[in-house]
Amino acid sequence: MSESVLITGADGYFGKLLTEKYLSHTDNRMLLWVRAQDRTEYDSKCEQLRKTYAVHKNRIHFHGGDLQSLEPFSTINPSEVKAIVHTAAITRFNVEESLANEVNREGTRKTAMFAHRCRGLEQFAFISTIYSSGLAPGCVSETAVSPTGPFANHYERSKSEAEHLIQTQFPDLPWSIYRAATIIADDDSGKVVQYNVFHNTMRLFFHGLISLLPGYHTTPIYLTTGRSTIDSIFEILSAQQTQQSIYNLCYGRDTAMTLGELIDRVFNNFARDPDFHKKRILKPLFTDLDAFESLASVLKGLSGAVVKQALESIRPFAQQLFIEKDVANQQLLCATPGYPIPDMPVLIDNVIQHLMQTKWGRETMPGNQRQ
Amino acid sequence: MTLPDIYISNIGYALGNIRQTLEFSHVNGLTYSSTELLTDSGFHFHHMCNAAQSTYDLARAAVDNLLTSGGTGCESIHGILYATCLTCNGNLGAWQDFKQSGDVKHLMDFPASHLQADFGLENAFLMGINQTACTSLLSTLRTAKALLSSESHLEQLLCLTADRFPPGAKYEQTYNLISDGAAACVVSRHGGRVKILDAHHISNGVMAQASDDETAGFYFNYSYRVIDELLKRNQLSINDIDWIVPQNTNIKAWEVLSSILRFDYQKVLTPTREDIGHCISGDNIINLKHADDNGTFQPGDKILLPMAGFGLNWSCVLLEKV
Repeated sequence: MSESVLITGADGYFGKLLTEKYLSHTDNRMLLWVRAQDRTEYDSKCEQLRKTYAVHKNRIHFHGGDLQSLEPFSTINPSEVKAIVHTAAITRFNVEESLANEVNREGTRKTAMFAHRCRGLEQFAFISTIYSSGLAPGCVSETAVSPTGPFANHYERSKSEAEHLIQTQFPDLPWSIYRAATIIADDDSGKVVQYNVFHNTMRLFFHGLISLLPGYHTTPIYLTTGRSTIDSIFEILSAQQTQQSIYNLCYGRDTAMTLGELIDRVFNNFARDPDFHKKRILKPLFTDLDAFESLASVLKGLSGAVVKQALESIRPFAQQLFIEKDVANQQLLCATPGYPIPDMPVLIDNVIQHLMQTKWGRETMPGNQRQ
Repeated sequence: MTLPDIYISNIGYALGNIRQTLEFSHVNGLTYSSTELLTDSGFHFHHMCNAAQSTYDLARAAVDNLLTSGGTGCESIHGILYATCLTCNGNLGAWQDFKQSGDVKHLMDFPASHLQADFGLENAFLMGINQTACTSLLSTLRTAKALLSSESHLEQLLCLTADRFPPGAKYEQTYNLISDGAAACVVSRHGGRVKILDAHHISNGVMAQASDDETAGFYFNYSYRVIDELLKRNQLSINDIDWIVPQNTNIKAWEVLSSILRFDYQKVLTPTREDIGHCISGDNIINLKHADDNGTFQPGDKILLPMAGFGLNWSCVLLEKV
């Protein structure tokens, strides 16, 4: 039997990118596990992925379920699994406490328990976040972090607890942990497929719907692309030297833009739009957390759906915008000597131009229309 | 050339003759937002005109209130600067009369003229300001200061604003509970309650038809900007300001703004917010009167009167207690 790689969350953002990578760069069989609450959802997702990976149809096998169920991987034969990449998670910052516990922490436990039954397992990769260090300022080293926090939200906390349980409760697993920075684009072109708090916030600024931003001008912001993140994970996993290591998939403090620099750059791009320019929308004022919370509580009650939704995604992350972190990445650089240092200003330009040209994903990019 | 000191002396105001609870108005379809939301925003009552009470009645009552407080001789009022938020309140003529006759004189029946006649302000010239919405009264203060500074024959100018919402209107604008009302003050070169040090105004006409969300979105950084620019122009910092007397708006808005300005929220005065709500363009002056009558200010205190309005407009007047 050929060796199989199990991707959990195969229908998610990281899951798809990793699957594509494996399919195009290896001859592994791919076990694609998708989250599905019922047969209809499962069939629909499989159908979509089958179309996407049509040329590799003989190498892909679908499984599915729910990480909240007792045995989410009961349909998979553990003896055929060589590697597991656990990407399945709820990644929104405003994830509810119980859901974060059930999916991100206990779901990881169930995946690790399944991994423990895979006798031929060589790799168990867990995708985490550089914010698993919570609100601790200073150096984020590529070592274990305290799972006790404090944390800005349940997403961070649950990821931190999941990291901790892998390291302490599954010491025999060939685990490796990959902490991703905030993904703002698919690649350096600035194309955005997965919209998150970054993009939602930019949309509010662009339309003049919010004029305050929590945080300090000087807070470094760690932003990256999905491509860079996935390339790094794949390169490290391919090198087979991953066991029980932690990698911060991020550049260092000296490459990071500060929040103030980011806003300046974003507004310089916005200003190229004639309508934005005409409206004389001002840059947001930096405010403390209490004032932002007051604003959020006002607008939550009063404003329209777009503002409410965006604020709800910003609020749980707001505390991080006051925390100065210095992300260490020596292990990443050792494992991937060619790790590309991004040109952050250019990346920001590309992303913002993409957002404006596609009206935040509502329209196709000029030149991409079907004939 | 040294410019003369210009003061606000007498202040008077009048409100719609029906004092209504927020609950009643909500039940009767006069607000968009829920009672709970508007209560949380700091509003409880508001005042509406009954069918018989006109905008001009409000203006008259406000001026009457001002003049009966004494100290203002009608003969020394050399101008009336009459502001309205809604342009429809700047004409007493009936649209039906114009429709019937085709004579536009029915569209030029100006309340300032009536006011001059009714109060015998024979020495007053007339001027109307009606395109800066809620900032209109502050616009008259700025104009009055400029006129008194540049025309030495002028002694006192009567500044006022009067608005009532037309029948069928909702009494809520951009999440604020509205009162019909008028506010008037005398701007004088002969001393008064407070000295007008400066006034600043920013307009952003592209946002003339801003949605409520856009208006709220622009509110904070433009309000900050109008204050910041005014202070800088006068070589002052926020630490030099003793009191801020803003419009009656959502209670949280000034919690947020005072935090951004690094200003003590306890020194933001809106003594009439719960009872009156947003009295369109008269809030600052009405609140100023209440605070001053209560002895809040000490001589030398510096006071800011900021206001935001449709248009979009932001205005701020810098005062010093005499």
